[in-house]
Amino acid sequence: MSTDPRDTSFEAVHTSTAEVEEETLARSTHRRRSDFEDTLTRTAEGQGREAGGALPRASLWKDAYYRFIKNKASVVAAVAFVALLAFCIFVPIFSNEDPYAVDFSQAYEPPSLEHPFGTDQFGRDVFVRTALGGRVSFAIGFAATFAIMLVGITYGATSGFIGGKLDNALMRFLDALYGLPYLPFAILTLAIFGTVNFWTMVVALTIASWFTTARVMRGQIMTLKQNDYVRAAYAVGASRQRVLWRHLLINTLGIIIVFVFLELPGVILGEAFLSFIGLGINPPKASWGTLAQDGYTEYQVHPWLIVIPSLMIAWLILSAFFIADGLRDALDPRMKEA
Amino acid sequence: MPLLEVSDLRTFFKTREGEVHAVDGVSFSVEEGKTLGIVGESGCGKSVTALSIMGLVQSPGRVVSGTAVFDGRELTTLSEGELEDVRGREIAMIFQDPMTSLNPTLTIGTQLTETLRRHLNMSREEAKKRAVELLEEVHIPDAARRLKDYPHRFSGGMRQRVMIAMALSCNPKLLIADEPTTALDVTVQAGVLDLLEELRLQHNMTMIIITHNMGVVAETADDILVMYAGQVVEQAPAVELFDRPEHPYTEALLGSLPDIERENVRNERLVSIPGRPPDLLVPPDGCRFAVRCKYAGIDDCDKIAPALREIRTGHWVRSTHPASERSAATVEAAR
Repeated sequence: MSTDPRDTSFEAVHTSTAEVEEETLARSTHRRRSDFEDTLTRTAEGQGREAGGALPRASLWKDAYYRFIKNKASVVAAVAFVALLAFCIFVPIFSNEDPYAVDFSQAYEPPSLEHPFGTDQFGRDVFVRTALGGRVSFAIGFAATFAIMLVGITYGATSGFIGGKLDNALMRFLDALYGLPYLPFAILTLAIFGTVNFWTMVVALTIASWFTTARVMRGQIMTLKQNDYVRAAYAVGASRQRVLWRHLLINTLGIIIVFVFLELPGVILGEAFLSFIGLGINPPKASWGTLAQDGYTEYQVHPWLIVIPSLMIAWLILSAFFIADGLRDALDPRMKEA
Repeated sequence: MPLLEVSDLRTFFKTREGEVHAVDGVSFSVEEGKTLGIVGESGCGKSVTALSIMGLVQSPGRVVSGTAVFDGRELTTLSEGELEDVRGREIAMIFQDPMTSLNPTLTIGTQLTETLRRHLNMSREEAKKRAVELLEEVHIPDAARRLKDYPHRFSGGMRQRVMIAMALSCNPKLLIADEPTTALDVTVQAGVLDLLEELRLQHNMTMIIITHNMGVVAETADDILVMYAGQVVEQAPAVELFDRPEHPYTEALLGSLPDIERENVRNERLVSIPGRPPDLLVPPDGCRFAVRCKYAGIDDCDKIAPALREIRTGHWVRSTHPASERSAATVEAAR
């Protein structure tokens, strides 16, 4: 390699340049010459460093983190999201109020220092109940999102990876399911179960909303499958399973993370809607949806009872969407060059 | 016995319009320790031939018939599992575009060690040590640290070096290089070719180099196979092929290379071969080059397909009017 004739020719070019300089700048030759050499050595050092890899190492995730941080709306949304989550987790722990204690003398108190969100028809503190309801909403949201990812990714990845006739069959089946309207589908599922509790709610929401994830995953896998590195992996003897896990699924991780934050608000909204129409968690437990439904009957007299849970839902959905937006920009490999 | 003997290989792709005969009766053999160059224009079946040997032809393509005997084993009938053991271990392949041939989400180290651990059952530490050696072998500086880097921190030439390291990691007997330098800068190309040659000698490897660049095969190959429209049209030792090309297509290919030493070359136009390759959905009955051939129409070569025949020892050609058999009248008529 290094005994290549090209190397000598480069040297020749350098020498002749230096010679020309010597002639034309006769008086300051010495100075110029050493400057020139300085520059050469410095450049060489710089290149050596780069080739050696002493620059700060940037991993994919670190890069993504810096890009996410740059997006102010997403950062604000992330803080808002964490704050909301913290509110739901910590308020019931540190509050002295008993969220289930009925005290009719305290019913329908407007917001005050003692009861920041007022009280409901049974005199229960709405502040603590909102936090508790948030716990239920979040829990259902996370569980259902997890289930949706599991089902959607498995279905979509299978379809996209195997392809051919199976892909065709699976996708046509999905098209048929797409035709069914979302909420009636969930209602129907709940009706079949007969009871409403945490798990039936999760199952109903999952069944009603895993389609999009499956479709997107299938598309992703199909695109990734065409990559040269997949072919290269087969060429060094990787098995199909190995290719699927190491080269395809791992590359969809960014999309999956974005999808978690896109599905979460949808699922929580779905839960709220089902609760609102009376298919929610049974009292005295509550979610934001059931709280809003309780408040709905009194909205002209005691508006805070519906306004507060509604605001909570809106807060969650908006922050999740902005996080998803920021994550999509941060994790999209095409943004890397920018 | 040759290390690899391919005979009458046919690989077709099913499309809505019919079957595309991408590789149509290709036969050749490679002796151990030699380098075979396969040349031809885009779409003539060079890469599909290589993929067929490796058993990597993807649906809707399939190997319809033919055999590929490698080291005494018939490759086309091996199961997928058996093929996985052959790929990377005994036959390795490097691809055209190093920019996309590495997984962007895994470090170079992970990708290198995976192959080692898969084929040679090395422990994590052993594989890592070997990976460093491999990177050093392909002249990547500071190899130990570079293992932790992701592909986007390597330049095109560096990535191709990593790909070569990966291909060589298990000491394969045969290396198939599919356009290894096409996507690289000319200066980098020379470096990569030198490296390939150096490693080939070091590891006593047999090599098939696929390219459309005559310069590349001239430099590296012992024997050259010229493909056109899914068929072998000429095969000869490299020197012989360049000195005495027989097939009109080979002649035209060589004729289209600009000679930068000729006088007034800057004012000349680049020579190209008129016409286009035939549609491989319905390959012509006669010689596939007939429509573009200067000498076609003199005999019935455009109706009856000529067979591949040995015109001189080791020099095969598929034409009814190879250069050495053309009469002055034929040449005159072609003008």
